[in-house]
Amino acid sequence: MTDSLLAKSIDKILEKTEKETLVNLENSFSDAKQTLDNSIPKLEQEFDKIISDGKKEADKIEKQIIGSSDLEVRNKQLLTLEIAIDKVFTKALEQIANTTRSADYSNLMKTLLDESTKILSTTKVIVSTNSKDKDLVQSLLSKYPGAELSSETINCLGGVVVKSKDGAMKFDNTLDARIQRLKPLIRKEIATKFGVGN
Amino acid sequence: MTAKGGVQYSKIAEIKGPLVVVDDVENAAFDELVEIETKEGERRLGKVLEVGNGKAIVQVFEGTTGLSISGTSAKFVGKLMEMPVSKEVLGRVFDGLGRPKDGLPDPIADKFIDINGEPMNPEQREYPKDFIQTGVSVIDGMITLVRGQKLPIFSGSGMSHNILAAQIARQANVVGTKDDFAVVFAAIGVQYSEAEYFRRSLEESGALKRSVLFLNTADDPAIERIITPRVALTVAEYLAFDLGMHVLVILTDMTNYAEALREISAAREEVPGRKGYPGYLYTDLSTIYERAGKLNGRKGSVTQVPILSMPSDDITHPIPDLTGYITEGQIVLGRDLFRQGVYPPINILMSLSRLMKDGIGAGSTREDHSEISNQVYDAYSRAQEVRALAGIVGKAGLTDIDLKYMDVGDVFEKEFLTQATDENRTIEETLTILWKIVSKLPKNEITKIKDKYVDQYYQEN
Repeated sequence: MTDSLLAKSIDKILEKTEKETLVNLENSFSDAKQTLDNSIPKLEQEFDKIISDGKKEADKIEKQIIGSSDLEVRNKQLLTLEIAIDKVFTKALEQIANTTRSADYSNLMKTLLDESTKILSTTKVIVSTNSKDKDLVQSLLSKYPGAELSSETINCLGGVVVKSKDGAMKFDNTLDARIQRLKPLIRKEIATKFGVGN
Repeated sequence: MTAKGGVQYSKIAEIKGPLVVVDDVENAAFDELVEIETKEGERRLGKVLEVGNGKAIVQVFEGTTGLSISGTSAKFVGKLMEMPVSKEVLGRVFDGLGRPKDGLPDPIADKFIDINGEPMNPEQREYPKDFIQTGVSVIDGMITLVRGQKLPIFSGSGMSHNILAAQIARQANVVGTKDDFAVVFAAIGVQYSEAEYFRRSLEESGALKRSVLFLNTADDPAIERIITPRVALTVAEYLAFDLGMHVLVILTDMTNYAEALREISAAREEVPGRKGYPGYLYTDLSTIYERAGKLNGRKGSVTQVPILSMPSDDITHPIPDLTGYITEGQIVLGRDLFRQGVYPPINILMSLSRLMKDGIGAGSTREDHSEISNQVYDAYSRAQEVRALAGIVGKAGLTDIDLKYMDVGDVFEKEFLTQATDENRTIEETLTILWKIVSKLPKNEITKIKDKYVDQYYQEN
């Protein structure tokens, strides 16, 4: 009798414990499921953030690489172009320096003298030129009353430097100075011939 | 440009500060470019400030140090100061007078443009209304910059305005269009380290490709600073109106510009105005700031972000004061935020973009932008009041709703305002953070946003 009662009690306790355990297990399972379900969107958000941050970083690096290599190439191109322009310039200057002093050249010198005296508003000037053009300028100066040729020659491709007699005003009308003033436009012309800046 | 140069005069009557007075001058023109040649053959550039009675007053950009009356001559070049421009200027670094500083040759010019620019015909101006994304949340979200606007940054000595300027230069972009975008950056009287920072920052981020840099450092002659913004704006106008690009011009620091102007004015013995600045400071500043805008029928735009450091953080100082009259709003950096380590330390309560309303909303940013921005502005303002109250009665004396506003203030500064110097936020990210801030408040406190937007974007805690 006592044994059967004991067995019954044990069974009851076991049954109750089993039920409780099952309920707990079910609860735990649903809690775990809930936690998992909740974490999925968070994980997805985190995943999206990592991907978008990574994409941003990749874009940034891509921009950096492309930007700097584009610039590097462009700068090399600019330097090469400049070397070519310089070569053309040197060649052109050599040609100008070796020009034969023809009638056209004489007319050019007269124009330069006219222009200079007009700008200085006086013909009472001292004119300097290079050794090649000394005689030519001397012959032209007779048309400018008060004008004198400087005893000292200057180093230039051609043209004249005209100074007022009191030394207050000077006008550089040498070919070198004129080329220098027009250099930016000439550079552009040369670059255009190379197919740049069209 | 002609082959005729100008006459060289050797009668120097006086050298006074940055000015040289030349005697017996005929046919000189106002603003004409002058080449000053020293006894040793060194050449400096200048321009004619005044002519009359056979005299010409020449302002020497590179300063008059080392010049003497005897042996110095002045050649009047016969043209105004011009900047050679072409698309090739992009990616280049120039000095404050527009001469290459990157070891490369002069750009092959497409055009030579007078640096003083031509005033925009008011009738031809188009109202600015297109958004520029700077990637800086507080600017994009609350003080939005639009194409063609002039929006200055008022900063103070030692604050992070140059870091912010570089970040804007690196990140700024136009969204929703494939039009080209360029940045013209003019550093006026900055330290060598800052100039290097700007150059390196643009170079390393790959943004130099679409930028043009003009660097006038603190050790360059102050008078050069008068020219730097004008040269920069000349390039900007060419890129915008000849090549159809959207150009953002950043000028830092305009205070150095105004000081150079004061130096010349003092040397000319002009009657000084407020704090010794010339009486024409307003007019002079307007000749720079008004070179921003859009033109009818033209594709490009020039947007200006001039930066100025307010002496003693004084917003009533003549430079910020007069700047504020001309520009369309201002971005003010706050010393308190800077001390707290907040970057960018923008005080939104003192800042304003007058053209923001036309550059945001559906079609350009997002339909809720204006309302969410107003709500956050209001909430942050209330947070400041609550903080002041908490300073008196203590946190324990505050109501629940007051505490929520304090929380809003904290989140605003920590998550919205604070941003890494290399963090480029899209407008969507910015608006998401703004909604996160507003969502700290109960729905009944949200009074400036339509219900449909609250339903759509409010983030339940």
